[in-house]
Amino acid sequence: MSQGTFDNTPPPFFRQGPSALSKLSFFAALAVFLMIADTRLQITQPLRTAFAIVLHPVQRVLLAPVQAWRSGSEYLVGLERALERATEREAAARRQLAAQSERALRVEQLEVENSRLRSLIDLRPGLSVRSQPAQILYEASDPYTRKLIIDRGSTQGVVLASPVINEDGVLGQVTRVYPLSSEVTLLTDKDAAILVLNARSQARSAAFGGLAGLELRFVVVNADVQVGDRLLTTGFDGVYPPGLPVATVALVDRKPDSGFARVALTPAVVPGSVRHVLVLEPIGVQMPPKPDSTPTESTAKGRRGARK
Amino acid sequence: MGRGDDQLLLPVNPWFIWLSLLVALALNLIPLGRLGAMPDFLALVLVFWNLHQPRRVGVGAAFVFGLAMDVNAAALLGQHALAYSLLSYFAVSIHRRLSRFSPAAQAVQILPLWYAAQTVSVLVHMVAGHAFPGWQILLAPVFASLLWPLACALLLAPQRRAPDPDMNRPL
Repeated sequence: MSQGTFDNTPPPFFRQGPSALSKLSFFAALAVFLMIADTRLQITQPLRTAFAIVLHPVQRVLLAPVQAWRSGSEYLVGLERALERATEREAAARRQLAAQSERALRVEQLEVENSRLRSLIDLRPGLSVRSQPAQILYEASDPYTRKLIIDRGSTQGVVLASPVINEDGVLGQVTRVYPLSSEVTLLTDKDAAILVLNARSQARSAAFGGLAGLELRFVVVNADVQVGDRLLTTGFDGVYPPGLPVATVALVDRKPDSGFARVALTPAVVPGSVRHVLVLEPIGVQMPPKPDSTPTESTAKGRRGARK
Repeated sequence: MGRGDDQLLLPVNPWFIWLSLLVALALNLIPLGRLGAMPDFLALVLVFWNLHQPRRVGVGAAFVFGLAMDVNAAALLGQHALAYSLLSYFAVSIHRRLSRFSPAAQAVQILPLWYAAQTVSVLVHMVAGHAFPGWQILLAPVFASLLWPLACALLLAPQRRAPDPDMNRPL
């Protein structure tokens, strides 16, 4: 019988402490309070940071065998096949480089022309964005959200709400910053939204993530949206620089059962294959401050003086 | 169980309890990606110690480990903590009844515990506005129950050593 394995020593008579039920009610109430505080009040960040600092070295240590397994299985599959795949990838990268070099060469000339035209019509010079490379450590295992963890944190200068991109397009935004790592919420997460510009029709709309992937919402039934339209960032939201690819329109359903058309998008970046990303500074940091909308004191005093 | 398990156990070592909990937390932290059917090793070891040593490992320890899991999984702070607190409360409340069964029978009786904790977790998320995470998560408690006899054998092994080791029985 297993009776011997359980702790059968008699409990203390007088100092028994709170009962399990009272402990449960206290901790359940505390957990509910923490959940509410996490979503509404935003005061739980220090607690999260403390846990994250303690857990970060453990996570990095545990990542090593996973990465070693992945590279080891590639090695075991056969050095030749790995070499084949490596040369294939190199050839694809070279082809992409060649295709992009022509546009890259033109970019410099266009930038010079742009700044000259801007100064000609007395516009402020265009915004340039600082960036830093980062590596994706792993995908957060919570099945309810789509988040990635990158290895740059506040000690390396990552700011909350920084956009994260790679060579294919926009990945998402940084939603939590810890000292040594950060969480990036992907565009396909249910809480993610981004302003987009239709490259063909120059119409602005908003793309939201959710269970069905990315979709455009609040699009009228007769809007000018076609399958194959490329959607880019607008540059007006104070976060993303303009012109980055976000998604392509995959499906337009104009049956008006909800009053709006259903536009499904395929994101430009496939999150499963991404390893290295670029973290940008939000462009709102460089924009001039918003104008003050309250009336100044001198005009109020002047009005009072005039009445007297 | 069989006829041969009348062995008197050595008293438990508290360092071993907390070490096993930390190892289970580390196992949970392994970044294998989003596998919904992966069993929760930390919950397994927590329930084990709640049944065997309810005075040393109680609802408070479950709450703190739940917070650690929340931070790791980038989830709402308190989601896992609530589920683990409930899990350990149920485990502590049935620990006397379960002492008379073999590990295999205990595994069957603990299965509803896992499902109750998982239901609470899923309910919290539906209330927070997320979608249903898919039916693979229903497999995770089954795997956890299948691992239960192995966990029993592993975690009780230090207590099953010989009280007076000699050359014939060194451990």
